[in-house]
Amino acid sequence: MKFPPITRRATLGLLAGGAASLVAPARFASAQTSSAVNFQLSWLPSVQFGGSYLAEENGVWAEKGLDVSLLSGGPNAPVEPSVMAGTSLLGITAADYASAAVAEGATFKIIAVAMQKNPFAIASLPGNPVNSPADLVGKKIGMAVANTPILAALCALNDVDINEIEIVPTQYDPAPLVNGQVDCLLCWLTDLPIAMTMAGVDNVTMLLADHGYAVHSQTYIVTEDALENQREEIVALMAGEIAGWNAYFADTDKAADLVVAKFPDLGLDLETQKVQAAKQVDLMVSPLTEEFGFGWFTDETVADNIATLGLLGREVSADLWDRSILEEIYE
Amino acid sequence: MIRQQVLLTEQMRTYAGFAGLLIAWELLARFAFGQLYILSPPTAIVMRIIEDLPLYSRALSATVSEALLGFILGNLAAIVLAVLVVTLPPIERLAQAIALVVFCLPLVATGPILRVIYGPGWGPQITLAALSVYYTTFVPLVVGLRAVPPSWLDLIASYGRGRLTAMTVVRARASLPYLIASLKIAAPAAFLGAIVGEFTGADRGIGVLSIQAMRSLDVDGTWALATIASAVAIIGYAVVGWAGQLLSIGAPPSLLVSPASKAPKVLWKKLFMAVAAPTLSCVVILLLWKISMDGLDLSRFFAKRPGDVWAYLVAGSQAAAHRSELFAALRETMGTTVLGYFAGLGLGAVLAAIFCMLPAVEKIASPVAIALRSIPIVATAPLLVLALGRGQLGMLGIVAIMIFFPTLVSCLHGLRQTPGQVIDYFDSFRAPPLTQLFLARVPAMLPSLFAAARMAVPMAVLAATVAEWLATGTGIGNLMALTNSTSNYNMLWSCVTILTLVSVAGYALVAMLERRVLSHFAPEQVI
Repeated sequence: MKFPPITRRATLGLLAGGAASLVAPARFASAQTSSAVNFQLSWLPSVQFGGSYLAEENGVWAEKGLDVSLLSGGPNAPVEPSVMAGTSLLGITAADYASAAVAEGATFKIIAVAMQKNPFAIASLPGNPVNSPADLVGKKIGMAVANTPILAALCALNDVDINEIEIVPTQYDPAPLVNGQVDCLLCWLTDLPIAMTMAGVDNVTMLLADHGYAVHSQTYIVTEDALENQREEIVALMAGEIAGWNAYFADTDKAADLVVAKFPDLGLDLETQKVQAAKQVDLMVSPLTEEFGFGWFTDETVADNIATLGLLGREVSADLWDRSILEEIYE
Repeated sequence: MIRQQVLLTEQMRTYAGFAGLLIAWELLARFAFGQLYILSPPTAIVMRIIEDLPLYSRALSATVSEALLGFILGNLAAIVLAVLVVTLPPIERLAQAIALVVFCLPLVATGPILRVIYGPGWGPQITLAALSVYYTTFVPLVVGLRAVPPSWLDLIASYGRGRLTAMTVVRARASLPYLIASLKIAAPAAFLGAIVGEFTGADRGIGVLSIQAMRSLDVDGTWALATIASAVAIIGYAVVGWAGQLLSIGAPPSLLVSPASKAPKVLWKKLFMAVAAPTLSCVVILLLWKISMDGLDLSRFFAKRPGDVWAYLVAGSQAAAHRSELFAALRETMGTTVLGYFAGLGLGAVLAAIFCMLPAVEKIASPVAIALRSIPIVATAPLLVLALGRGQLGMLGIVAIMIFFPTLVSCLHGLRQTPGQVIDYFDSFRAPPLTQLFLARVPAMLPSLFAAARMAVPMAVLAATVAEWLATGTGIGNLMALTNSTSNYNMLWSCVTILTLVSVAGYALVAMLERRVLSHFAPEQVI
């Protein structure tokens, strides 16, 4: 057996290489220490956050002296810890998640509501459609197990016995429905159904919000501490966000163009994004927002939410919602 | 001339085997699964890769860079730790325990926490890549650093040189084959780790693209990405192997003389090792847990301390209810995990034996084996579940596949470690190949098999929980996913604690068995 000799030069080279590689990651970590404000989105980039990307693109935040970084989410990237830890000033989550976090000791306030209607829907195929909650009886439903309380609430609201529905765990994927493993899917209206349509699979959707399920979605959360101590930044951030969404409603195709161009590495399909961008407007614009502006909510919509959240097993007080930021902006 | 011809026909047989596999795949995808959104034919996959080449290469460069940095850092950490352990045997138990505990942490829980600590950027991807390689390098390297003929150490001692010389001149070189073997496993593992890291929020990379592809029912895209991921993993594996061939010339030294066992004979020393050492490890780990979280000033909302878990599971008023919920889920998980563990180990060892006897099979099958291991688990989990059913069998398959590949590589290496003199001896008696396998090669393989079996314990638990999280929706993996979305971080951390304890207990059990067996077959590994 023969080995190359261990020389001093070789050893030094090895050590230098090691040191260089140890230093390298520090470069990536240092990105977070800039004075910028982080805004944690709840999922991967798409037109779902079109208004935020338009706000960034149009320089609305820069004008207000804010350097906003939009942080992407993902399947293993919960928003609440990021906001609670102060990594992000603002986060996007749904009212049910926010109330659960508050029950566990988080100090969140919901300061605006992007989706007035909850986007959860039940998608099925035309041959075996689910048009009303009663149709669910005896069906196999594919869904992320984490969403079981949502189905339970829908059942309670419409007098359906949840035990008569077979829950099959699936994840981020319409294939189980198309392949006949399940009869329907619990998913977002703007997500898997559009993917199926674009892939040439006809489908039927039933929006949970049309059957009594009132849970604000894509809500903006901040901590109580931030609301007190970083109020100006929050106002500026939300004002820019509102401007971004108003630009979005004016031309959804433009938002789709922007998102596809801005994230070339995501392989987004322009046509799909355009369809999603247009469909999403129905969830975000309501008589309420037409009158008062994007993100608005009232004591009545909050009361409806508290009732539905009660069915989800969450005791929530109206204190979770705080409209003062919106009031300051729309004044 | 004749030799060349033999080589040529062998090569042709290998290519023919590949071609046969591809044709079978194409036919299966086109006809058997034609109407389903499951399997893409190879031609469609190739077309897609060509079509989207710029997109894929940008994503690939991101993920490969993350994986490479993680690979370097994780392996450096493993090497440093292994050298420390072998130079200073008293710290071994503690170092092993800490290394094991860190490796056992479920990705479902660590991903988001790393994201909060690092903020945006590559931090979680690199860290998860490093975490998925360091342990599988550390364990075999400790074995390798000890796989030294005692006479060599005696020689160093007789020259009046100490441990440092022994390390650089004897141990480091003896461990090279072991290091290379584990770096080969590490290459695909780092890639997988980086992909899982991308799930915690990233703007580019193979992981991001595969989520997009799956959600948009883009089956060709999913398979194209799986193909690219596998190709990268195989290339990584091959490059390390090739580097190994360049560096270490010839086979590692064979060990024919066994040193005397150094296990303590005195009763109180035995007692100390059995009781005090594990207790000390526990205390140190709990302290590290608390101090690191306090030091990083992580919010108590999601970063629970040992005291929180204690209150939740033992001291609190609801503790009994919490315990029964957790343990019910744990029982559900463990049943399948144990079965999958033995299936994976058995498959790996048997396949290694077959490869060793029939090298031609190895040429065709080993890329398939690497591919199986390196296709992102998010892609394989639904595929396997589709093939084996959404129940326990699907999960069993996922667990078995996750641990079978490292076992295979490790066992193959072990089989080739058989001392040439021993093989010559068997050859001179014309012993049939099976006799050679069982009497000469299998005993030589045992240290590697046990090293793999130990490492496979935490891997099996990881695979089971990830499968439950992504596909089956049962057991403790589901409990963690569920509590994660309801912000019930007390339950999450309790699950992490209990799972880690289970992994460590399983590991200790295998280690105990290993000492018994190896003290008979390979005493130099027992300290």
